[in-house]
Amino acid sequence: MGGLQKKKYERGSATNYITRNKARKKLQLSLADFRRLCILKGIYPHEPKHKKKVNKGSTAPRTFYLFKDIRFLLHEPIVRKFREYKVFVRKLRKAYGKAEWTGVERLRDNKPGYKLDHIIKERYPTFIDALRDIDDALSMCFLFSTFARTGKCHVQTITLCRRLTVEWMNYVVTSRSLRKVFLSIKGIYYQAEVLGQLITWLVPYQFAHDHPTDVDYRVMATFTEMYTTLFGFINFRLYQTLNLVYPPKLDSKAESELKAEHEEDYAMDSESYLEKLSALSASLARVVATAEEEENQLDLFPTEGEDQENMQAREKEQKEQEAQKRLFEGLKFFLNREVPRESLAFILRCFGAEVSWDKSLCIGGTYEVTDETITHQIVDRPDMDKQYINRYYIQPQWVFDSVNAQMRLPVEDYFLGTTLPPHLSPFVEEKDGDYVPPEKLKLMALQRGEKPEEEDDVDDEELTEEKNLKKMEGTRAQGKTLAVKVTPGKVKPWETGSVGNKVRLEQEEKAEEKRLAIMMMKKKEKYLYDKIMFGKKRTTREVNKLTAKRKAHEDASKAQKKQKKAKKQ
Amino acid sequence: MAAVKRLKRVAAAQPGFMSFKSSAGSDDLNSGQRKRVNKNKKKNWNKHSDIQDVEEFLDDVRLQERATGGLISEKPDDSLFFVDIGEQRKYVQPEVQEGKKGKKSKSRPLRIDLILQHDSLVPPPKDILAHQQPNAKKLRRIAENAEKLAAMGVLPRRQKRLLNRRPAITASKSKTTANNFPDRPYYDLWGGDAKETADPYYLEQTGKKRVKRPEKLNSKPSVLPAVEVIAPGGSYNPDFFSHQALLLEAHEVEVKRERAELRIERQLAVNREDTATEETVFQELVEGLVEEEEDEDEEEEAVSIRGGLQQEKKTEKERRRERADKIKSQQKQAARVFTDKKQQLFQLRSIQATLKRGEQQTRERVAQRKANQEAEKSMPRRLGRLRFQAQDLEVQLSDEIPGSLRTLKPEGSVLKDRFKSMQKRNMIEPRERAKFKRRHKVKYVEKRAFREIT
Repeated sequence: MGGLQKKKYERGSATNYITRNKARKKLQLSLADFRRLCILKGIYPHEPKHKKKVNKGSTAPRTFYLFKDIRFLLHEPIVRKFREYKVFVRKLRKAYGKAEWTGVERLRDNKPGYKLDHIIKERYPTFIDALRDIDDALSMCFLFSTFARTGKCHVQTITLCRRLTVEWMNYVVTSRSLRKVFLSIKGIYYQAEVLGQLITWLVPYQFAHDHPTDVDYRVMATFTEMYTTLFGFINFRLYQTLNLVYPPKLDSKAESELKAEHEEDYAMDSESYLEKLSALSASLARVVATAEEEENQLDLFPTEGEDQENMQAREKEQKEQEAQKRLFEGLKFFLNREVPRESLAFILRCFGAEVSWDKSLCIGGTYEVTDETITHQIVDRPDMDKQYINRYYIQPQWVFDSVNAQMRLPVEDYFLGTTLPPHLSPFVEEKDGDYVPPEKLKLMALQRGEKPEEEDDVDDEELTEEKNLKKMEGTRAQGKTLAVKVTPGKVKPWETGSVGNKVRLEQEEKAEEKRLAIMMMKKKEKYLYDKIMFGKKRTTREVNKLTAKRKAHEDASKAQKKQKKAKKQ
Repeated sequence: MAAVKRLKRVAAAQPGFMSFKSSAGSDDLNSGQRKRVNKNKKKNWNKHSDIQDVEEFLDDVRLQERATGGLISEKPDDSLFFVDIGEQRKYVQPEVQEGKKGKKSKSRPLRIDLILQHDSLVPPPKDILAHQQPNAKKLRRIAENAEKLAAMGVLPRRQKRLLNRRPAITASKSKTTANNFPDRPYYDLWGGDAKETADPYYLEQTGKKRVKRPEKLNSKPSVLPAVEVIAPGGSYNPDFFSHQALLLEAHEVEVKRERAELRIERQLAVNREDTATEETVFQELVEGLVEEEEDEDEEEEAVSIRGGLQQEKKTEKERRRERADKIKSQQKQAARVFTDKKQQLFQLRSIQATLKRGEQQTRERVAQRKANQEAEKSMPRRLGRLRFQAQDLEVQLSDEIPGSLRTLKPEGSVLKDRFKSMQKRNMIEPRERAKFKRRHKVKYVEKRAFREIT
């Protein structure tokens, strides 16, 4: 054998990966700093396909990074800042130890810091890239803004997160982009559509949670650091698209309204502005103060290659969206104390309503309980003692359900003291044939415009039926023939009228065509078709089973209710 | 040294002075005989002249000047004498009150300050050199000319150069260059024009150009979405069936866990019948001791037969027969193969069927493998020592479901959820809290050799 021998693990995948410790030593950073750097730059560990090859024969579980990634990290300017910070800490500690207080002051004044702007620009070269990644940033910032301001995490971070989240909420309110809300046991899920991107985020409830111990706070804090920077830039750009002033200012008209008598009692001057903003009850100032313009009807030019149908469909969609954005317009709401104020104020304002609350609750309440023009009051107690006549007292779920149903649901189901209908998740997409809960069916019927059939009291129905049956048996026993007549049949609503006929004819034609097509299929295709239909039939069978179960459950509960009533009487 | 010697000589020459070495006797002066000195020489004026009286007078004058600021004889009468009219006790009381503080009162100046003050009333001589400037006139003239020119607007060359110099870019060290203070200003990051400063090659070579980010880093590490919405059964007021479905899932997780525990117990299980009873223990102890002799002979014979089969040589007949048999069997096999091939023609259908089945199996396996790979993409990868532990499903039991938003008790922590979600998406490796390891001090034990010595 001539030539150089090939040694193992010198080429191929073994040289493409590098272990974490080796990478750390190459960068000359401590482990915490290395982790922070990787999080900031967006460099993640990889699992190689053939671990044994990369690990040089051993199967010990190790963390691997791509070697090219680590080489790229070497060019990062903030690596130098990390090292400077380490040196700064060492000098500070020495100065403290020697009790040189002037030295300590001098060092503190020149504390090294780093900025992440260039990293954000590098990771998200365009605005749309950043907007796609904002889900994570939103959830983290909302989470951090709910933390208590003890010394555990930097209070500065918490304040910054609060400011950014308030700015985001104000943007969504002004642009009316909220689409879906879901109240879960974990928190509240929102979905908004911003510049064509669907953005989902989770907001934890404001009240009590103790912090779990097995979460690494340093890692989360580093993520938050990066996300706050990203989020701030996105906010700036979004405000620019809406022609609003950034950092946001309250509209001068609205600000004068908001001036309360005892402002100083509520918050310090520096914080009262943020609090007023976070109240979300006033509109924001624009860069160029435009008076209320009438929206001109833009001339619609059909794009090339699109036929009339698509355009009409799009127009219809746009109209629906516009209608949806004005869901609560014109209504005046008042939030009672026990209701989650921020969430409800956000949602109601997103759809054009006016909201207010008790003055002692939070700054920014524009009108009081005693205002006569309030149309709805949101209460969560079993009953209210003083009730005004011309307003509805409803439970907060009405708001959420209306938003998800994209229409104002009938208020009767949500009065005080009634058992609420279940809160369905708007994030579930049901395919044809899947089980659809009856509440959702009712909802869809409402959306289509049909009035819900009055569910007569089943008791009454049963009673009348029983009566009829008894009568009939009685007559039969007496030997008389039953007075059974042929009565003119009831015409079902969808059959009446020319419209109904046309619809029926169309449906019949379609069915005929389908049958013909099925007959003309080749054997192979028919075989496949049968398989598909079998699968579908199976799902429908299961759906039927579930509906039957549901019915049985309801019957059982009704029977229980009857028993209780009987017991009472 | 010469001066010291001179002084000593002069002092010793004074009439009343007792020199140190008077008992031993002075070297140059014998008692009674005085040497004759020539007083006309300059050398001897200092050595042998007595100016004591003049010195005394001058000292007295100097003392007067130091102490009183001038000759006493020249002072007016009023400064030296006063007419004693009587005692004036007007301002005694406030003085008494002030002096109550005692010796350590702050109104009294410090002793060291007092010591360091001038204690002579002679003023220090004025320094005339301070008022002297060699070319005062010239400088005055130059200054006047410069003033006149400045009034007209002509600046000297130095001023012109100073003004022409570009202002120094004060490195504005903002106190917080750091990232996260609450009023951090933001700007349009994606707007703004790219700065076209210089040649790209120059920028690259001098290290001013940023290194391009590798393309692979732009892809997300996982296909999972950032925020996964909880199942509809997790609503605060869930629909019956979706809640049941969620409970079923949680139930299955618990069942799995229990089964894992039971598996371990099953592996450790011991059959009751296998445990040793007294009888079996006795049998084991007694084994091999009690035996009859008949059995021993039988065993020996059996062994001998099995062991020694004698091989006899093969005869020619046998070899020939073997060869013929071999050929026959080969022929048979060839014929069989031939007929098989012929018959395969008629077996085409079944052959096709088997082939189809085989192909279907491979296709199924390929599909399964692809499905597995796709599923793996959404699974969390193993990135480190610990495996990913999915968090428990957040579910509330039927009796925990609140009737209203007010009575809702939130389940699970969003912080933990975000942490786990990031691990699931392969952004960080799973981590657990560092355990507290107690490190004990190693006890010092003497070596045996040393122990023997001491």
